[in-house]
Amino acid sequence: MLDNVFAAIAELANFQTLLLMTVGATAGLIAGAIPGFTIAMAIVLTLPFTFGMEASQGVATMIGVYVGGLSGGLMSGILIGIPGTPSSVATTFDGFPMARKGDPGYALGLGVWSSFFGGIIATVLLVLVAPQLAKVGLEFQPWDYFALIFFALTVTASLAGDNMIKGLISGALGVLIATVGEDDINGVKRFDFGNDYVGEGFAFLPVLIGLFAFSQLMSDVRDKVSARKALTEMQDVSIRIEHRRAIRTIMKDWVNLVRSSLIGVFTGVLPAAGSSISNLLAYDQAKKASPTPEKFGTGHSGGIIAPESANNATAGGALITMMALGIPGDVITAVMLGALLIHDVIPSPAFIAEQPKIAYAIFIAFFFANFLVLALQTGALRGFVLITKVRMYVLASIILVYCGIGVFSLNNITNDMWTLAIFGVVGYVMRTLKFPLAPMILGVVLGPIAERWLSRSLALSTDVAEFFTHPWSLFFIIASVFSIGFSWYQKDRGRKVWTLWYAPLLLLTMTLPLFMMGGTFRPILAGVMILSAIVMLVKLPRATRALKSTTEV
Amino acid sequence: MTTMSRDTIVSIILLLFCGFMVWAGTLIRDPQFGELSPAAWPKGVTWVLTAFCVIYFLQSVIADRNGTAEVRAADPARGPGLGGWFRYYFNPIVCFVLYFTFLATLPYFGTLIGGILLVFALLSFLGGIAPKQIVIHALIAVISVGAMWALFTYGLRVLLPRGELFGTI
Repeated sequence: MLDNVFAAIAELANFQTLLLMTVGATAGLIAGAIPGFTIAMAIVLTLPFTFGMEASQGVATMIGVYVGGLSGGLMSGILIGIPGTPSSVATTFDGFPMARKGDPGYALGLGVWSSFFGGIIATVLLVLVAPQLAKVGLEFQPWDYFALIFFALTVTASLAGDNMIKGLISGALGVLIATVGEDDINGVKRFDFGNDYVGEGFAFLPVLIGLFAFSQLMSDVRDKVSARKALTEMQDVSIRIEHRRAIRTIMKDWVNLVRSSLIGVFTGVLPAAGSSISNLLAYDQAKKASPTPEKFGTGHSGGIIAPESANNATAGGALITMMALGIPGDVITAVMLGALLIHDVIPSPAFIAEQPKIAYAIFIAFFFANFLVLALQTGALRGFVLITKVRMYVLASIILVYCGIGVFSLNNITNDMWTLAIFGVVGYVMRTLKFPLAPMILGVVLGPIAERWLSRSLALSTDVAEFFTHPWSLFFIIASVFSIGFSWYQKDRGRKVWTLWYAPLLLLTMTLPLFMMGGTFRPILAGVMILSAIVMLVKLPRATRALKSTTEV
Repeated sequence: MTTMSRDTIVSIILLLFCGFMVWAGTLIRDPQFGELSPAAWPKGVTWVLTAFCVIYFLQSVIADRNGTAEVRAADPARGPGLGGWFRYYFNPIVCFVLYFTFLATLPYFGTLIGGILLVFALLSFLGGIAPKQIVIHALIAVISVGAMWALFTYGLRVLLPRGELFGTI
């Protein structure tokens, strides 16, 4: 392992890579700080520059943008009360009140250092967990992979909340888009309607940039009045980040820091659940665990530490899934996966063992990016203020052309520019109709992988029962069923009796594949799960009565 | 009589699209080898999508009948009728038209000139056309697209599309 670490350090420790990472982290910090610009968009805009780089160099640059973007969101959240990215929404709850009370330097310090520590904890877990998870991944057979991807798609859709059916439609549309063009296995053209352009299929990245970035820009300029306004009226920032005071507070509240970071990593590991969820989850848990929950929302330090450590840690979790299983954890890692594929690097369970140089370069780059971002924050604060003076329509107009040129440089064909524009329209229509875009994007990425694994499974056996007799496949199928039911569970929890059965049933059904897996640890874990389920079932009548009396009142 | 909500209309359009894709799926050639025919996966996905769309349609119809459909036009800026819709989405529509025009004229103008014209047109449309603004927009367009073009052409060695009218750029 140490050999790989040193080899990766040698790979990255050159002036050019460090400079690229610094530029990437700065760009990420500023882009993340601009309300309306997401981290995914910043990564997408970085992509064209990485085509000509070595794989490890390109990924290191994008990781710089990723970590920078996660940390940048806190600046606008704390200083102007508008989160720069969805991953900093919860930071605003306490960061902005603290800044308004006259403590912006302290609030920024807490945010900056919590992000840093969250990132470092995630790096440690990334290095420790990813290779282990990859070993588990080596147990996977084609049926298991197909079921895993099916699970990832159901998770994305179920996260659409009240709009779950729209999430499911969006995901299925994404998978359908990916089927257009020549199929990978037989080379037969599908849905081409005799048109050469359609027959070639749609390249993934132009589709993604169109759906995500192009449609976002159109949404930003829909209203002419707000498009002509500067992003903020902030004139100058002469704030000094209070580093020492912030570190002392974080050290005192280390339990919150560690818990939030773990929530972040776990959320990141789940396919399709990203930092926009983890920051809110961590904030909620910090509030529940605090002896003074009433102070949350008024400028409490714990309310900044929790979301900021969680959102940076999520990046580590998402990278774990991408590197160990080849499944993107969120839209951002989906873009990174696309970038790796351009360089003929295909993440899979064997990736860390077969491509240790690139794998460890990702670990090291993620670790180093956290230090880099910490060092760049003060300077980026000034850049952020300058950028926010630019009017939205100016930024949007320039970026639109940039998207086109960037997409062209992918394959040097103008068809990709048309794809970008067409999917820009599709994305904008879907946004307007309130269809979530994340399931569609993941559908486009995961669809072809799912088809490939399905084909391999059927080549081995045409018996559909195989999907239920392979333990991992059964595990993911059960998880998919429960993830589809999760949004109803969330909606009815605390109000309807059936929700009390959700957790014990989940635990009990999950034990079946665990017993089937054999070994020592997994059956023991299954035993513990059965015991927990029994305890819940014993308490069920009392909980039912309590719930009924509450709802009757 | 209940009126159709936006969701119901969208679900009907989606169902029509699904019907079209089901028909298109029958046109996929089957080479008669391999366990998974090239048409099987897209057909399966289309049927799954159709099932979701049917659920969406039923949900919308039930919401319409119960009067619980999502209230449209929550934004007071949006006026009634097709005219109101057009005015509300005028900016994105014009931006898309300008972008598609840029793509259609790319073989004639090339990336540099076409890009400058596009940025200038977008800036002037979105930002206004007062004389001072026109000068500023022209400068922004030339500098930004010029820098981008130079960066990609000389920095990243990408051969960006050239126009017939100005062969060298």
